Amino acid sequence: MAHPAQLGFQDAASPIMEELMYFHDHTLMIVFLISSLVLYIISLMLTTELTHTSTMDAQEVETVWTILPAVILILIALPSLRILYMMDEITTPTLTLKTMGHQWYWSYEYTDYENLCFDSYMTPPLELDPGELRLLEVDNRVVLPTEMSIRMLISSEDVLHSWTVPSLGVKTDAIPGRLNQATLMTSRPGIYYGQCSEICGANHSFMPIVLELVPLKHFEEWLLSTLE
Amino acid sequence: MASGTLAKPQMRGLLARCLWIHIVGAFTVSLGVATLYKFGVAEPRKKAYADFYRNYGSMKDFEEMRKSGIFQSAK
Repeated sequence: MAHPAQLGFQDAASPIMEELMYFHDHTLMIVFLISSLVLYIISLMLTTELTHTSTMDAQEVETVWTILPAVILILIALPSLRILYMMDEITTPTLTLKTMGHQWYWSYEYTDYENLCFDSYMTPPLELDPGELRLLEVDNRVVLPTEMSIRMLISSEDVLHSWTVPSLGVKTDAIPGRLNQATLMTSRPGIYYGQCSEICGANHSFMPIVLELVPLKHFEEWLLSTLE
Repeated sequence: MASGTLAKPQMRGLLARCLWIHIVGAFTVSLGVATLYKFGVAEPRKKAYADFYRNYGSMKDFEEMRKSGIFQSAK
């Protein structure tokens, strides 16, 4: 989850999110480079007393400020495409989890082996236990195994929603009538929080997502105990 | 009385000279800012992740979390 006054990303819990963070660092570095250059030039323009009133053309600088931005854009595009293709790699997922967005809760279906389906509603603030997080906790968490490729199939039963878990770098729209696929692969166990990310009505802010990532053995035990 | 002659001051090209100095300065400042960000933020972040995962034990981490009682599925 995010901490108060946090500015940056949440700690990455998946390889893709790590790559996204490094790409963001690379792009922000370029943003700072351009911004500092422009700021320097603006301050220069505001403090000079020298003028040149008969400028007719400036072929050299025109060439520079055409080529240089093109080079900068290529330097941004190449890592961007690398991550884009990395996110779309075809893997063989070990598990498939379906999630449907509703107004205003998520429902989950584990249908690979047996049929396990449940709804996940936000825990109202008055019903929270001490130490629990306001507007983030749910009654039934999504339990998944760590260090395994998991296929998420995301859709909606009514309006647009978006299934998001920032720590894992996942944000996928839940569109009625459409099935969107995302791939999850977590590097470490833990509890990961997310919130609906597409405006969907009055309680859009009150339909969070909580993933509980545990080792495979514990996931299987949970699955069996829940099915009983 | 004897009088010395002053050196002729630079009369032309003042703007061009000023522009040249400041273009070099602007690029130096902006590349400096980018280098500062890269070695002050980006590289330490990569190193922090690499150091974290070098000796990371996921089962040990999981057991600590389980004992603290945060999981619903594993008590």
